[in-house]
Amino acid sequence: MPATTVPLITLEQAKELVQLLEIGEQEVANQLVQQLGTPGSSELFAEVGKITRQLHDSLKNFQIDPSLSNILQEDIPDAKKRLNHVIDMTEQAANRTMDAVESCLPIADEITKQLGQLMPQWQKLMQRDLPLAEFKALCHDIDGFLQKTSSESLRLNSLLTDVLMAQDFQDLTGQILRRVIELVREVEESLIGLVTAFGKSSSQFLEQQPVKSKTKTLVAAEGPIIDAAERADVVNGQDDVDDLLSSLGF
Amino acid sequence: MNKNMKILVVDDFSTMRRIIKNLLRDLGFTNISEADDGSTALPMLQGGDFDFVVTDWNMPGMQGIDLLRAIRADAKLKHIPVMMVTAEAKKEQIIAAAQAGVNGYIVKPFTAATLQEKLAKVFERIG
Repeated sequence: MPATTVPLITLEQAKELVQLLEIGEQEVANQLVQQLGTPGSSELFAEVGKITRQLHDSLKNFQIDPSLSNILQEDIPDAKKRLNHVIDMTEQAANRTMDAVESCLPIADEITKQLGQLMPQWQKLMQRDLPLAEFKALCHDIDGFLQKTSSESLRLNSLLTDVLMAQDFQDLTGQILRRVIELVREVEESLIGLVTAFGKSSSQFLEQQPVKSKTKTLVAAEGPIIDAAERADVVNGQDDVDDLLSSLGF
Repeated sequence: MNKNMKILVVDDFSTMRRIIKNLLRDLGFTNISEADDGSTALPMLQGGDFDFVVTDWNMPGMQGIDLLRAIRADAKLKHIPVMMVTAEAKKEQIIAAAQAGVNGYIVKPFTAATLQEKLAKVFERIG
């Protein structure tokens, strides 16, 4: 028998058990046998009890933790609304850009076509090879071209400005997405808190809970408003801003 | 309006800085610098002879409203006109900006015409 073997029962315990049985102390003998058979079981049961208690407390704490219930009741639905708004804005921007480009292309084509028509006659003129009658016709053609192109170039400029302005979606959706990312981070933190709670005692866990109450300062930045029409505390467009500022004496 | 005046455009989104820069260029202004938030803008303003600031409100680091207040609190900078171009649309924010001494307030999304109009107004008032 190897020296390291731990005896399940010692000689003294065996003698005590025999003694107990001989004097008829069955109950005490049973207790002794139970103790011998499952060493440390009472500690195990105590530990399981503790963990159960922790789980119960943790869940209860999570239910009353306002930051988590806020996330579930307000922030997540709000985030969904914001993300849908992002889809709408990117769609609008894409359409606005494509509309402008589609209006630009025929203008550019038309200019190219007219230039193609003028060029042979113009080259003849440059080579001093143009009869007077054709020269007069060329003058009228060029006059028509210049007048048309000057108005078309203004139109091109305004369409290109449209393309430029359509890109503002990147800033506006970016601001919205940053807020949603921040929310995801908060949820992640809460979930990590829940997971680690089972490895630690409740008191440690409670200390670790983020006691964050969103303190909104009076003029904290909020980012793009996605429901301006339904809110009384925000302006709805530049005209409202102008009215408000002029009411302040601006 | 002096088309050579030195303008600082402050916005954390480079696309918006490009948009504003292009619009200003279209209006004839070419002397334009950029900063991505208030804390980078302020040393630039203190170091350079800027004539006009266009700033966003919501930026990481130093926000536009704080930049505005810092400009107004600095004896050397307080004369510089500041225009806010921002998505912040709460009435109390616009009032706060007005109280801090903003010269113009444009809400995003805005149009090229709005920028031109407000710009003209700012400099008309300053004379």
